[in-house]
Amino acid sequence: MTSRMVSKLIDQDDRFLGILDRLTTKSIDDYYNPYKLFEWPQSLPAAMWWMSPELTTTHGTEAAERLTQEQLYALSRHESINFYSLNVHGIRELLIEVTKRIHTTGFETPSEFFHHFIGEENEHMWFFAEFCLRYGRKIYRQPVGASVEIPRSHVESLLVFARILIFEELVDHFNSRMALDERLDETIRAINRIHHQDESRHIAFGRELVTVLFEDVKRTSSDEELKEIADYLRRYLTFSFESLYNPQVYRDAGIENPLDLRRELLESPARVEFERSVFRKTSKFLEKTGLI
Amino acid sequence: MASAGIDDVRAWILGRHPDRTTIAPDENLIESRLVDSLSFVELVYAIEGASGVEVDFDTIDIQDFQTLSSIEKAFFATTRIA
Ligand SMILES: [Fe+2]
Ligand SMILES: [Fe+2]
Repeated sequence: MTSRMVSKLIDQDDRFLGILDRLTTKSIDDYYNPYKLFEWPQSLPAAMWWMSPELTTTHGTEAAERLTQEQLYALSRHESINFYSLNVHGIRELLIEVTKRIHTTGFETPSEFFHHFIGEENEHMWFFAEFCLRYGRKIYRQPVGASVEIPRSHVESLLVFARILIFEELVDHFNSRMALDERLDETIRAINRIHHQDESRHIAFGRELVTVLFEDVKRTSSDEELKEIADYLRRYLTFSFESLYNPQVYRDAGIENPLDLRRELLESPARVEFERSVFRKTSKFLEKTGLI
Repeated sequence: MASAGIDDVRAWILGRHPDRTTIAPDENLIESRLVDSLSFVELVYAIEGASGVEVDFDTIDIQDFQTLSSIEKAFFATTRIA
């Protein structure tokens, strides 16, 4: 893809320009101070759901039937810390990629919005990390080999922003539900609510940008190359979804053979349904644009 | 089973690449795209499953994951028979 071509495509796209304007204004109007916004009680009660049970990895599985209510609560607590940890790592990677591109050729026009994006993501990363460290006493780790290398350079930006979009949509599936879930503590609902509010803008932006970037890639790539992109994105969807199933979480919740449980859950029929519902909107978008 | 060790890891990689039937001990897994960033975590879990040892994510040395023989040396050295 040529950067100049991307600039041209963006600057001729009135719809995208209008959306960029609206989203930038909204970022300014909705701006808040995250460092003052949350109350952060000393502790949160252990004997309750920390994550909507329908969003936990054991939901609807035979494995869940072998666990007591107390174990399920504990599991939801560790899974919630894992979920916010995934956010911390995901945000680090996307900040690196967006920061690399701000005010460079091809991204002149969206750079104004990138400032809001980078600022907001930094704040998200702070409150997610804060939650993990306060209530979980740790951030779950990711191995270094998992920080993502990009397969091919001329489609690099497309893949970067498609990945960011997939990640944000996955997270938003959880945020939008947990924000409204009355079984959860108010602190948990609040961080999910605030994040959902900011992410609605990021997702709207991401869909537009990915569409424009793909328009350019489509014109300059062979069918074979397009198939490779589709395969990569399909694998990225699976990879993102499977990162919810963390053996360290199962270990922390006192389960004896965490790797066996992980495999059992990933192979269970409930997983198929769960994955489909998490990526329902995302897959629809990616299919409609022809990316997968 | 810990004694199967590295054979389990090889079988796991081959299971994900139906086009392949063998992997030489010194073939670079990352350069040959048998393993990439999206399958790296799964490889770590496969090694944990085969060795029975928990791998510390914080101290992972990517060099240990380059080839089957480096994996064997790093994670299965004590159980090597042949
Ligand atoms: Fe965010
Ligand atoms: Fe975001």
